[in-house]
Order: sequence, then structure tokens, then C-alpha cells
Amino acid sequence: MVMAPALASAQERPAERAAAVADPRAIVSFELTVNRRPRRLDIDPRTTLLDALREHLGLTGAKKGCDHGQCGACTVLVDNTRVLGCLTLAVAVRGPVTTIEGLAQSDGTLHPMQQAFIDRDAFQCGYCTPGQIVSAVGCVAEGHAGSEAEIREHMSGNLCRCAAYPHIVAAIGQARDEMRS
Amino acid sequence: MQTAQLKIGSPITRIDGRLKVTGEARYASDTPLGDPAYAVLATSAIARGRITDIDETEARAVPGVLDILTHRNIGGAVKKTKLFSDGGYVGTTIMPLGSDQVWHDGQIVAVVLAETFEAASDAASRLVVRYAPEEPAAGFDSAGATTVAAKDVSKTHEDPEVGDAAAAFAAAPVKIDAGYSTPTQHHNPIELFTTSCAWSDGKLTAWESSQNVTGFKNGLAEQLGIEPDKIRVISRYIGGAFGSRGSLTQRTALIAVAAKRLDRPVKLVASRKQGFTIATYRAETRHRIKLAAGQDGKLQSLTHIGWEVTSRPDNYMVSGTDASTRLYACPNVASKVSIVHADRNTPGFMRSPPEVPYLFAIESAMDELAVALDMDPVELRRRNDTQNEPIKGLPYTSRALMPCFDHAAQAFGWDKRNPKPGSMRDGDWLIGWGCAATMYPTQVGPAAARVTLFPHGAVKVQTAAHDIGTGAYTVVALTAADRLGVGIDRITVELGDSDLPPAPVAGGSNTTASVCNVVAKACEQIRVQIAAAAVAAPHGKFAGAAPAQLVLADWSLKGPGGAAEPLDEAIARASNGAIEAYAENVPHGVPPEGLKKLYQGHAALAGGAKMKDRIQFAFGAEFVEVRVHARTREIRTPRIVGAFAAGKIVDPVTAESQLMGGMIWGISSALHEATEIDRRAARYTNTDLAEYLIPVNADIDRTQVIFVAEDDRQVNELGIKGLGELGNVGTNAAVANAVYHATGVRIRDLPIRLEKLLNAPAIKL
Repeated sequence: MVMAPALASAQERPAERAAAVADPRAIVSFELTVNRRPRRLDIDPRTTLLDALREHLGLTGAKKGCDHGQCGACTVLVDNTRVLGCLTLAVAVRGPVTTIEGLAQSDGTLHPMQQAFIDRDAFQCGYCTPGQIVSAVGCVAEGHAGSEAEIREHMSGNLCRCAAYPHIVAAIGQARDEMRS
Repeated sequence: MQTAQLKIGSPITRIDGRLKVTGEARYASDTPLGDPAYAVLATSAIARGRITDIDETEARAVPGVLDILTHRNIGGAVKKTKLFSDGGYVGTTIMPLGSDQVWHDGQIVAVVLAETFEAASDAASRLVVRYAPEEPAAGFDSAGATTVAAKDVSKTHEDPEVGDAAAAFAAAPVKIDAGYSTPTQHHNPIELFTTSCAWSDGKLTAWESSQNVTGFKNGLAEQLGIEPDKIRVISRYIGGAFGSRGSLTQRTALIAVAAKRLDRPVKLVASRKQGFTIATYRAETRHRIKLAAGQDGKLQSLTHIGWEVTSRPDNYMVSGTDASTRLYACPNVASKVSIVHADRNTPGFMRSPPEVPYLFAIESAMDELAVALDMDPVELRRRNDTQNEPIKGLPYTSRALMPCFDHAAQAFGWDKRNPKPGSMRDGDWLIGWGCAATMYPTQVGPAAARVTLFPHGAVKVQTAAHDIGTGAYTVVALTAADRLGVGIDRITVELGDSDLPPAPVAGGSNTTASVCNVVAKACEQIRVQIAAAAVAAPHGKFAGAAPAQLVLADWSLKGPGGAAEPLDEAIARASNGAIEAYAENVPHGVPPEGLKKLYQGHAALAGGAKMKDRIQFAFGAEFVEVRVHARTREIRTPRIVGAFAAGKIVDPVTAESQLMGGMIWGISSALHEATEIDRRAARYTNTDLAEYLIPVNADIDRTQVIFVAEDDRQVNELGIKGLGELGNVGTNAAVANAVYHATGVRIRDLPIRLEKLLNAPAIKL
């Protein structure tokens, strides 16, 4: 399940709102916390969170696979909840964003989910993998990784055309146990 | 870290795994370009006719728009090249923005360039294109579609035949005569079709997911009228390909032209919807199969007639009768392939291009024959097994079809099957068990590689091959580790760059065989150099030994009588610095000009049924359980077992993933995938990932891959057959056969959806 992000209310950004009325395409400036760092964005308000990350912040881990919320390759965490970057306007995001680049520890130690994906060969081309891994972290955090059937159901928003699904389920099972311990 | 010395055949996880799980693997559109302009495509709203006008006023008024390319301002900028399958490089001969003519729905009619993706998208939506439309032909049975015999338009196509199939069919006691069809399918790799181009000092760099960087370099050179050495194509990571990225699409040259006009890098990320019409696809096919057998089950006559859809200007075909007529022993065989020209984009290679549709037909018909004979379908295959193909009598280099059937049948529990349709049931779920054979040609192409062994034992392997998710990085590293005796953590592999020594297109499942063999050859040159220096040293450990007796293993040079010395000392004796080897390999069956073709980026693969002295294929058998719900007709596939004999398995980890993914592709091909066409408009209607059905995680349950050991040194020195496309052949038939067993309904028209099972006689509530 993918939740809608926390949306900004008009009161929070009066200046930006005024500018938007004048010209809906006028550049908006705001700050976003991405992978524990504050990042400044000066962008077209129509920019999606995915394009903001990829084209403006140099974080190309999240991928564009459909731009329609149908494939899950752009999955990131906002407030530790799974969000589709392509269906979310960057200006609407309030909470801290975690992308695949923010999962490993600063010393390079991989998140258990990343290591499990390697161990179980849970990918082939690797393109959907950042979205799968971020989604899997969210899936475990939500408590939706209790059984293989539950993992399958709650990971079905992330398409893998190489069809690594059985290995993805195995990887999530492995990482779930390590994340709990 | 994997530091122990590994061998070819050692199971290891991917050496590029860390890059892929951290988001650090850079796919084409991840490349930082400085300050690129963004391109957005506009595509045609009609399938046939002419563009009468393009009103750019509103589009150009959008702030940030830089330029709009149409046939009116760049018509003729891109020069003509040949179709890939005719020995060229492109996937369609329709010229990019070449004229006002519209050949198919969704053809590129304009490229909008702007400062941002948002502005370019906005402007593209404001372009007003006016047309003089004509009535299009959508495909089979459409008025205006034209049918031609494959052998009349193709230099390479043959219609295999032997004996007198018609007379034998008439005389035989047990017969099957049926028609089958497979739908249009699109590859839909999750990575979109993207291209980024930048020019510098008259040289072009193109970043694009490609299965064929050397071909793209040479093809672009022809299209742009410049020398190939002025072009570099980079494709280090590829977000799925499945055949869709083997030939140049229209977009690459257009983005190169755009970047030159703007004197600025240009980046295109085409939409998912556009991907259905700006690249290739698997065309729909039809088949008529006539099988006749004696009461003993032995085939007496086999006829396979196929029809395939293609575009109006191109003669693309897959012609799978090459394989389907050679799967079983049969004295009388007839076949014919025809292609049907319609107003569609040109189709192309999609994972196991000929075998997926053609083996669906023949392996469904074999199941029907087993039913007609009241014989177990595995036994029917056994009675018709052969070690020589039936058309010319050429020997298979190896063929372990029946061992595959036997291993898979045992793992599946086939002996517990009650053959009566509708007889196996679990509550409201009707259980069906079905099986089918798979076969895929073993193809090997000329390839080149450079291997550098540095003084302290680090190794760099360079070749312009491609890892499309197949594990190419890993199998190349394993080969070098095996041959040079160094740890895999000391090996760096560089692929996917046209500046590297050329390798074939990543197609036809040839990469592992072609590339590992040439890498082994380069490593052998290094071993020879080290060994020669070692035996030449007057008082050394190896003095007097023959160089051929010396091997590199376990970080050492080893010789007769237990003589050994550390690798770095052995290297130091042979060179003051690094030792570099450049190798070229021309496999058996490739004509002498194959090496030249390699450097020109042309496919020069040899193998399959196209050799004069022998025939080489990999084989397998797949067993599927389907469950059909008696009330809703919902179809599930709780388990699938495949056994495969594909020669030497270089890395069982990545190979298992390939075959598992392939089998799931096969399930998808049977139950999920079809591109629907609005026949009035010749337009694809389900052009996104919500409506073009592919399996999601919840659709897939248990999968089991079994490797059947096979040692075939005829196919190539390392004995590698290739298996990227083996797994998803025949699966569609196995599923259809299982559905028949569950329900008594024989579905000959894919995909199998629940509405086709509404009238099922065997289903009792």
C-alpha cells in the first residue's frame, strides 16, 4: 500500500501561494530534507518529487519507469511511509524524504534489506531495485511482512519485469528478521 | 567479500550487486550532463496518411522552449540505413522526421526542446498537428493488409521440408489439425526509452540503454554521415531490454541532431505510452499445425504454417519454423511462413522471438495429440525424441531433452497425475497439470576483449558486451578468476562502452558463450607469456618445463612436481609492468568476414539450425500447475518446475535467476500479456503498465529451476550454450495444456483469460 504524502496547507507558504496565483509556472524556492540533509530547491512548481530528486538534486537512485504511479520504481519514503515520487509534487512534500541513497550507513555498511537483495539475487537488471528495496523497508516497517503471502500482496505495487519476485520475497524475509533483531 | 579463488561454475552473487542496491549504478538517464536541454516527443494521432500542417504558435510561446524539430526543419538530416535484420542497424526503415508521411499510430512527428522537462511537456501538449488521414490496416484480416511469402522477401528464410507431409497426413491413423494464435506483446522494460546526447569537438557521446553499443556507434555514424570513431555510445547498466534495445530506434539520431542544433546536451525520457510505438514489439502470429502419428505415437507427418504481422515498409519476421520443425523426429515435414504488412510500427526481437509463438503452437498440438492417442504427454515426447534433426539429418551437438523431462517430472510429481480433465480438485479449485518442451538455439559470435594483469595481481577486463540483467559482469569476472587464478575482488570488468573492444549484440542468448570464450582466450595469452618467461629463467623453479604444463591457479603459477610461486613474482619475471592481452575469437561456423562484421557492429552469430555440419540447441522441459476456480474461473499458477540442459553453467546464481525470470515471462505470455488494438484506428489501446498486464509479485508463487548437467565442448571451448531465452519458451503451451487438464477447455488463442473458460464442460460446481 502506498500512502499519500503529507500535503502542505496554503497557510504554510503564503508567499509561494501568492506567486503561484500570479504565474503558475513561476519558480518556487523551498527547502526539503532529503536523506537527513536540508536541500534547497528552486524549481517549476509542476516538478514532481521524482524529477526534483533526479534532475535537481543529483539523486538518480529513484527511477522513472512510468511516471504514472503504476510501476513503483520511484518509491521513496516520506515520514517513513512509502510514497510514489512520480505522483507527488515536490512542493507538496513536508516530511523528511529517504531515498535509496540514504539507506546505507555513513561508513558504507549496507542496510539489511540491501544486503539481503544481494544475498538472494533479488534483481537482475537492477532498475526497479531501488524502488523495491525502499518499498520493502516500508513494507516491513508497516508490519506487512509477516508471511510470504503478505509480502507478495504488499509488494505488488513494485513491478519487476525481469521477474525476480520469488527472490524478492526471500530477501524481504531475510531482512525482516535482521531488522527485528 | 569473495576472496577465495573461484572457478567457472562457482555460484556467486553479482559483482555489480552493491552498485545496484545503493542506487549508484548509473543507467543512461542517470548520467549528469551539466545543463541539458530536455526533449519531449510528440507522436502522430493517426496510423496512416499525411501531415498537412503543424501549428507551433502556442507551443513556442511556452516560456523556456528552445526549438521544435519536425520534418519541416530537419527532414533529411538523418540518412537512410538498413534494417537490423537485413544486415543494418535500425529497427525500422521509416525515416526519423523524414517526411510528412505517417506510417503508423504513435510515430514521432515532433521533438520539443526546452529548458526543463516541465516546459517541454507543456509545449508538446500545445502543438497542433493536422492530418489528411487514410484508412489504416490494423493487422490480420484488415482490408488493405497485404500478405507475402517469407521466402519471397527474405534472403535467409527457408521453409524447412522433407518427405511428403500431405500424403503421410492423409494416410495416418491419428491426426491433429488445429489453428493457434499469439497476441501482440510489448517488452515494457521498466527503464523507459531514454537517450542523452552531447557533442564536444565534433565528437558525439550518446548515453542510451543499448544491447548493441558497437552497432549503435556504426549505425549512428551512417545516419549522421560522420566517421564511427567520432561516436561513443555508453550503456553500462541497462534497465531491462528483452530485445527492445538491440536495434536503433528513431529517437537516437533525432536527439543527436537536437544536441548539435542547440550546441548543448539534450536529454530525452520518452513516456511509457510512447514506448509502445517508438520502439519494436512482438507481433501477433497465427499458426496452422497438422500432426499425424501411428498408434505407437511416432510422428508420421508434421506441418507448420505461420503468419506474422509486420509494418508496411519492412519485412521483419521471426520465422520460428526453423526450430519447430526440428524439435521431434518425423519423416514428413512441411512448413511455410508468410508475413502480413499492415499500418503498424515495425516489430522486432522480443525474448525468444521465434520460439515463443512457434513452440506455443507445436507444443500445444503435441499435447492434443497425446490426448488423441490416450498417451502420457511425456511418453509421446520420448517416442519422438531424436539425436538428429529431421530435415537434413544433421546431428545435434548434444540434446538432453528427455533427461530434462525426466528430472522435471520427478521433481513435479507428475506420476500422481490423473490424465482425465477436471479430475483433480481441491475444493472449488480445479487443478491442472501440464508440460511442454523448450528449445533455444545455441549461438556464438565473434568477439574481442582486452585483459590487463597489473603487477600486483589486479585484473581489468574490457569488452563492449552488455549486462542487461543477465549477469554478464559476473560471468566475465568468473572466467578471468578461473583462468588467471586471482580472487574475484581483484577483478574489474568494464562493459557497455563502444570505445572498448567490440562484442556482439546482447541477443540470441549469445553473450556468455561469445564473451567468456574470448576473455578466456585473452587470459590464455597472458598465461603463455608468464609461462614462457618462467621456463626460460635458467635457474628458476620451472626451468626445463614445457610452458603448456604451467597453470595459473590460487594466486600462483604452478608447474610439474608441485613447483609453485606467487603470482606477483611470476608476473615480474614476464614484465616490468602490466601484462596486457587483446584477443579476438571467431567461433565455429562463422565465415571469415565475421571478424570484420564485429568491428562494424553487425551481428555475425553462428549456431542453431543455420550451420552446415551440425545443429546446436539448448533444451528443457517445464511443468506447470494451474488452479482454475470453479465459480469465478480465476486462473492461478501455484508452481512451476523447469529442468534445463544448457551446457556449462558459468554462474549458477545468475543462471537460475535468468531461467526463473524466463519461466515467469512464459506464465505472463500465457495468462497476462497482450497489447490490445483498436482495429478501426490501428491504435494500441492499453499503453501503460496498469492496462498492459504483466505479473506482479502476488501473481507468482513457487518456482523451481533444475540444471541438468551437460558437457558439450563442440559448441565452444568452454561448453557454454546460453540460457537467457530458454526459460520462457514452451511455458505458454505448458500453461495452456494445464488449463486443458483442469477444465477440458483447449485454449489455442493466447492469452488465456477467464472469459475463455466460461463454457467448460468439465467444471461442475
